[in-house]
This record gives sequence, C-alpha cells and structure tokens, in this order.
Amino acid sequence: MIRIIFYLLITLFSLTTSALIAQGDRYEQGMTKAFELWDAQKPMEASNMFERISSAEKENWIPYYYVVQINTIYSFNEKDEEKLTLQLAKAKEFLDKAQQISPDNPELIVLEALINTAWVAYDGQKYGMTLAPKNTELYIKALKIAPENPRVLLSKAEWDMGSARFFGQDTAPFCKDVKKALELFATFKGETLFYPEWGKERAEQILKDCK
Amino acid sequence: MKKGLITIFCLLTTIISFAQTIISGKVTDRKGIPIIGANVFLEGTYDGSSTDDKGKFSFTTSETGIQKLVFSFLSYETYAMEADVTSFKSLEIKLREEVNTLTGVTLTAGTFEAGDNAKVSALTPLDVVTTASALGDFVGALQTLPGTSTVAEDGRLFVRGGDAGETQIFIDGIRVFQPFTPTTNNVPTRGRYSPFLFDGITFSTGGYSAEYGQALSSVLLLNTINEPDQEKTDISLMTVGGGVGNTQKWEKGSLSVNTAYINLAPYTEVFPDRNEYRKPFEAISGEAVYRHKFENGLLKLYTAYDHINVDVLQEDINFDDLIRFDLENNNVYFNGSYKGALKNNWLLNVGTSYTYGKTNTGIIGNDIRDTEQSLHAKIKLKKGFSSRFKWSAGAEYFITDFKEDFRGADNIEFNSQFNNNISAAFTEADIFFSKNLATKVGLRAEYSELLRDTYISPRLSLAYKTDKFGQVSLAYGDFYQNPNNNLLKFNTDFRAEKASHYILNYQYNNNGKTFRAEAFYKDYDDLVKFDTDFASFDSNYSNDGFGYAGGLDIFWRDNTSFKNLDYWVSYSYLDTERDFRNFPERARPNFASTHNFSLVGKYWIDKWKSQLGFSYTFASGRAFTDPNTPFFQGEKTKPFNNLSVNWAYLISPQKILYFSVSNVLGFNNVNGFQFRNTPNDDGFFDRRALRPAADQFFFVGFFWTISDDKKSNQLNNL
Repeated sequence: MIRIIFYLLITLFSLTTSALIAQGDRYEQGMTKAFELWDAQKPMEASNMFERISSAEKENWIPYYYVVQINTIYSFNEKDEEKLTLQLAKAKEFLDKAQQISPDNPELIVLEALINTAWVAYDGQKYGMTLAPKNTELYIKALKIAPENPRVLLSKAEWDMGSARFFGQDTAPFCKDVKKALELFATFKGETLFYPEWGKERAEQILKDCK
Repeated sequence: MKKGLITIFCLLTTIISFAQTIISGKVTDRKGIPIIGANVFLEGTYDGSSTDDKGKFSFTTSETGIQKLVFSFLSYETYAMEADVTSFKSLEIKLREEVNTLTGVTLTAGTFEAGDNAKVSALTPLDVVTTASALGDFVGALQTLPGTSTVAEDGRLFVRGGDAGETQIFIDGIRVFQPFTPTTNNVPTRGRYSPFLFDGITFSTGGYSAEYGQALSSVLLLNTINEPDQEKTDISLMTVGGGVGNTQKWEKGSLSVNTAYINLAPYTEVFPDRNEYRKPFEAISGEAVYRHKFENGLLKLYTAYDHINVDVLQEDINFDDLIRFDLENNNVYFNGSYKGALKNNWLLNVGTSYTYGKTNTGIIGNDIRDTEQSLHAKIKLKKGFSSRFKWSAGAEYFITDFKEDFRGADNIEFNSQFNNNISAAFTEADIFFSKNLATKVGLRAEYSELLRDTYISPRLSLAYKTDKFGQVSLAYGDFYQNPNNNLLKFNTDFRAEKASHYILNYQYNNNGKTFRAEAFYKDYDDLVKFDTDFASFDSNYSNDGFGYAGGLDIFWRDNTSFKNLDYWVSYSYLDTERDFRNFPERARPNFASTHNFSLVGKYWIDKWKSQLGFSYTFASGRAFTDPNTPFFQGEKTKPFNNLSVNWAYLISPQKILYFSVSNVLGFNNVNGFQFRNTPNDDGFFDRRALRPAADQFFFVGFFWTISDDKKSNQLNNL
C-alpha cells in the first residue's frame, strides 16, 4: 500500500514538474514564435502574440515590454492621427501594466520617453513644449537608477542631440555618451531571458555621424 | 498494480498533451466588413491567433472545459465570450466600434476646450502666454475667441450680450469668487491667476453643463496641473516688476511657489499717461500649490494672496479739478480638491474654496470699505457604466457674507450687510447612442436662502457626427443667477435673473485645421431694474427687466497649411437689446458691439530662434446716450482698432527675451463719452471722450528657467 502511495506521489510529482517544464518551454516557445513573426515583418501579429503571452504571464513584464515597443516604434512616421493615437494609447496601457509589475524599471522608463518622443515627432508644435521637459525628467530618473544601462545612455544622448539640434546647438558633446553606451553594450548582460537587447546597431550608426 | 498506475499515468498525459480542440471563426465589424489583424485568444493561455485578410481565424488548443475567448482590436470594443472550448467553432463575431474622444462624437456646443488632450484645442495654455494682445493674461487671450465683445476699458469677459458679471470662473471645478483685481475707472483689469498653473482651459460661451450654475452667460473652467514636469526655478524680470517661482518634486507630491511684485512707477515716469498718479499701481502677490498623489487619487491644495494699491487723479467733466480715486485691495483665496477613483468605476470629486477679500476705495472724499467672505463646498460622484453611458450627480453649497461701510465726504454713514447662501444639486447623463450620436441630459436645482426661492434648470445638448471631420450640435439650457453684490447690498427682495440659451453649432476639425460656426439665441428675463441714476439704497427695485441676444460666431484656426505659421480668425455678429437697470426702454447696452473681429498669428523663425506674433482686434462702435438728442442709446462711438505685436526670442532653451507693444499703429480709440450733468449756457451738454489711460503699452521681459536638465546640458557643452 505504502508503495502504491509512493508511486502515486512520484507520478504526481513527475506530472507537475513536466507541466512546469512545459510551461517554461511554452513561454520560451511562445516568445521565440513572436520574435519570428516580428522578423517576418509581421509586427502587429507579433504584438498580438506578445499580448497573448502577457495575458498568461501576469507577473512578467517582458511580454508587456514588447507590446509597448512594437506599438510605439510603428507610430513613428504614422501620419493618420487616429491610428497614431490608438497605437500610442495601447502602448501606454501596456506600459502602465508593466510598470505595475516592475516599478522603476529603467528599460520601461526608456519606453515611456519613447512614447512621448513619438508624440513630439508627430506634432512638435503641439506636444514639444509639454512633453520635452517630461522626457528630460524621465531620462534623468532612468540614469539615476541605472547609470550603466547602455539603452538608457543611448536614448538619453539621442534625445539630447535632438533638443540641441532644435535649438541650433552643437550635438558633438553627446557623442561621448553614445560612445560610452556602445562600450557598455559589449558587457551588458540582461537579467532574464528575452531581456531587451536592442540599441547596439543604433549606437554604431549615430557614432558614424559623429565623425 | 503497476499496470494500473501506468494506465493512469498514460491517461493523464494523453489528456494533457493530445486533447486538441480547433477554435475557428470570423471577425467583422457591424456592417460585416472583415477586421484584419484582430487578436483572438483564450484568456490566460498562449493559445490564439490574429485574423487574416478575410477576418478569419483558426487555432488549436489543448485547454478544455469552460474558457474565456477574447477578441480585441484597436478602436473596437473588446469582446469576450465564456463557454466550453468545444463550442468555439465557426464563430461569427461582430465587434462594436469603440466610442473614444478622438474619433467619436463629442458634446461641444458652446465650448472651447484647450489642453493637450482635448480633441479640439482652440487655445493651449501656451497660446495664452504668446498671444500678442494678451500680455500673459488668460482672459486677454480668450478675448480673441468669438462670442466675446471688446470692452477695452474693463478687461473682463463680456460674452454674447451679457455683462462681465454673467461669467463665472472655476478652478478645478470649484468657484473663484473674485477672479479679477479691482481697478480704477477706465483701466482694464487682469485675471489674478498665473496661466502657467493651468494645463486645461475650457471656455463655454453658452449651454454648459448642469454642474455649473449662478452664471447667466458663460463659464470659464481652469484645471491646475496634476504633476509638474520637473523641479525648476523660474525668474522673471520685467519693465513693470519681477517674479520668482520654484517647484519641488518628490515621490508622492510636489510643491510650487510663485511670488511677483509689480510696480508701474518707473514705467509711468518714462511714459506718462492720461492719469496723474499720486501712487502708481503696485501689486504684491504670492501663490502656492501643493499636490499629493494617493494610490487612487490626487489631492491639490492651492492658496493665493495678493495685495494691490493705487492712488490716482483723474479727469471728470463735472469737476474743474482732477478727482482723486484711491484703492487698496487684499485678497486671500484657498482652493482644495480631491479627485479619486472608487471601486466599480466610480469617481469621486470633492472640493472647497474660501475667499476673503477686503477693498477700500476712496472716491472724491467718500470712503467705501467692502469685505467679502465666501465659501464653496462641492461633492460630485460619477460612474462610467460603459463607454456609452456615464452618469454623474453632485451637491454644492455657497456662502457669501458681504459687508460694506460707506462714509460720505459729508460724514453720512451707511452700512449694509447680507448673506447670499445658495444650495444646489445636479445630475447629468452622457449617452452615446453610437459613435456618431450622443446626448447630454442634465438637471440642476438651486435654493437661494436670501431670495427664499427655488430654481430648476434643465440642460440638454445633442451632437451628431456628419462625417469623419464634421459634426453638428444643439444645446439648450436655462440659467439662473442671483443679482450681484452691488444690488444686493441695497435690496434683497429680488428674484434670480434668468437666461435661456438655444445653440446650433457646426464644427469641422481636420489635422490642425478647425472651423466652427455657432448660431445662438439667448432670452433674458427677470432682469433687475431700478428707477435712479445709480443703484442706491433709496431706489425702487423690481425684476421687470428683460432682453434678448442673438447672433453668429465664426472661428477658424489653421496651424498646418503654412510652415511655422499658426493663426486664428474670429468673427462674432451680435444683435442684442435689453431693458434693465435704469433703462427707460429696451436698447442696446454699451458693452455690446455688433461686430467683433480678431486675427491672431504666430510665426516661428528657426534661424532667429524667435517667435513673432501679432493680434489685430476690431470692434464696431458702442452705443451711448447723448443728452443733446432725444434718443436713448441712440449714438455710437467710432469703431475700436488695435494691432499688437510681440517678439519672443529664445536665447537658449531656458532663457527667453520677450518684447511686446500694444496698438503699434496708434489708433485713437474712444471707449465712450462722459456728459456734463448740467447743460452749459447754450443749453448744450458738454462731453468728454473716455480714452484709454495710455494709447500704447510697451513691455519687455526676461524669463529664465533653471532646472536639472539645464545643468546637464551646460556641463556637456563645456
């Protein structure tokens, strides 16, 4: 009898572990699939996939992050105000959820500033005056939390360059920040699987223009 | 035994890994047009798919039993169905378009909204500061919008044939009892509050919500900033004074403090005007805003203090010598509000304001001391039942305690005092029948303790979206207002004055271009009348007055057609007559001109890092009575013209140099005439033109902001 119970326990144990492993696999597979969709130039399908994953992984900010990133990136150069507003509203909604899970996360602060930048890019006259100081504040905050995060450094430098260009000032002083960001990219290790890792190519590109 | 176990094990694994169900169907909008790229998924699982270009979807799941299937797509209401997974086959889902403020119909008849998120931003807070004729006064900027009449010597808002007292101002939904600084004769007043404090301005020229009362013509709603962007210090140096402000932020809250000192002595020394000053205008003011964020709400505490004084000698046709007018005013204002989310989509707004105002006025030896204490307390609850139905209700209480001590030059004393307390309750519903048709229905009840009377005012507005860019709106409402303090101090046996508004509005809004045309008719009733030259304690009063105002307002703003140029044009046609105060018959009042026109432009020159601005205002002549003719209000002044220009130069992102000149072309404007009380030897009444104290005004200011980011920029530049 004891043996039976023992076997039963073993079985149950192996079942649950295999389910857990399956779940871990599921996350990995799901995320990989989503990135594949994105690579295949199907960003909105990828966003949908990340959204589905986020509905199952309520304690993980990573899938939310990518919903925000896709909806923000594809809002740049969007001329239709309605579509732009809806996409950026969606990005903001998922950002808020992600920040509830992971408050004061420098990667998320960078995205928050990116959403603002998308607004400014769409209509600088209307949004520049109000959102520009907000962004400056956000980057300062992010830099305080993570002075060694290359994406924080890069995004801040790019933003500062944009502002300097607007006021007709020299952008060269910010090149050293980009350079430092590039150095940090070489050593930066994400904390978890699928941790954001974009920015290196962008930094290289900007640095090219610096010279 | 072992075999049995293995069987169980196998069975379980089979269930887990092999029970696949296919979920399929089609997603369309209400008209049956396929929605491409909608997200369809079982909530809480990874299983789902995006719809293809025919709106179709199909995916497999190993989930079993009751599951929730979710359909979501931008601009459509998310739809969810809960059932057994096996039933999710060949589904035909029709999604409903989401009603949102951007693409949906909005209830806008009669209102101009300004702010970053308003759909139609007629003016932004920044416009207030950069409008050439406004000189940083938000009321000045609003005077370039249609529906307002130019009354240059007053400076307050005269809306659609109403006098300035018919407009009420609210900060964060709470009443401001004394929004303007008192001034001497023929010198325009300014709003007390700094435009930098607000990030939302809604100016309603009629037909407004049941939430607001005690205003016959118009309400101006100002919302203070929820969270300042950054810590900073602002320094301003002007030809007329200076100011310092500082903002501090921490995790849950922030504090902003501003102080300013204005003294016109140096200016009037260099540019003397038509008045002779014993002591030129001087003002000291300070304000502080404290904001605290709670988990589900926001508390704002606002306090302002200001002191002004002026002592001036002015011309008067009835006196050979200049007459003396001196004024001293102290004003304290407190406004506290809390806005928070409760459970189940309930929103709570509570707030209170308190004003203490003391004004001492001396006119030709007469000494008048006024003290007003007022309080407003309000609570409002709002619930969004869905994006299509919202409901709100609230209650409020106003207390006004007014005292006046009058001591005449001949030592006659007269004291008056009254309490004007009003309780009110209101309820309102916003109903969206579709994305294109919406209505707002409201009801307001007020009880005045002073007049011992109850007033019920219905409010209604309806909006229909004609196409992607245009919409037509209708609004109707009844509005009641107690007679003002200057009448109540002599008599309290009144009824409330009444106005009914009928508004038809068309609005077109497309990518930076806004057009509005609004036709209105206003019916005035129960206006106060008296039988003496001035309202006084021995006048006979009644509520027998009446009147009407009708007209058309046109507004056009365009900031996209020409690069770096933003401009707007306003035109108002106003036909109005009323029989009120001491009018012997129905006539056009002197504050209402038939035609008002404004053109405001701002041009950004990148190379010069400068914004050039101009504003031109035209108002047709205003009516007055010439005692040498038999006609009442039968004459008209010549039209009013003003062209103001300004230049804002950005020395660096945080240093701005600002110049402005009003009436550059030097028009000789006449606001009206003063006639001698008695005829001269030829039986003729002499007159004196009422000219502005100064025809032109020059202003130079330097504004400097010091903040963290500036420092970082500086360091990087070194």
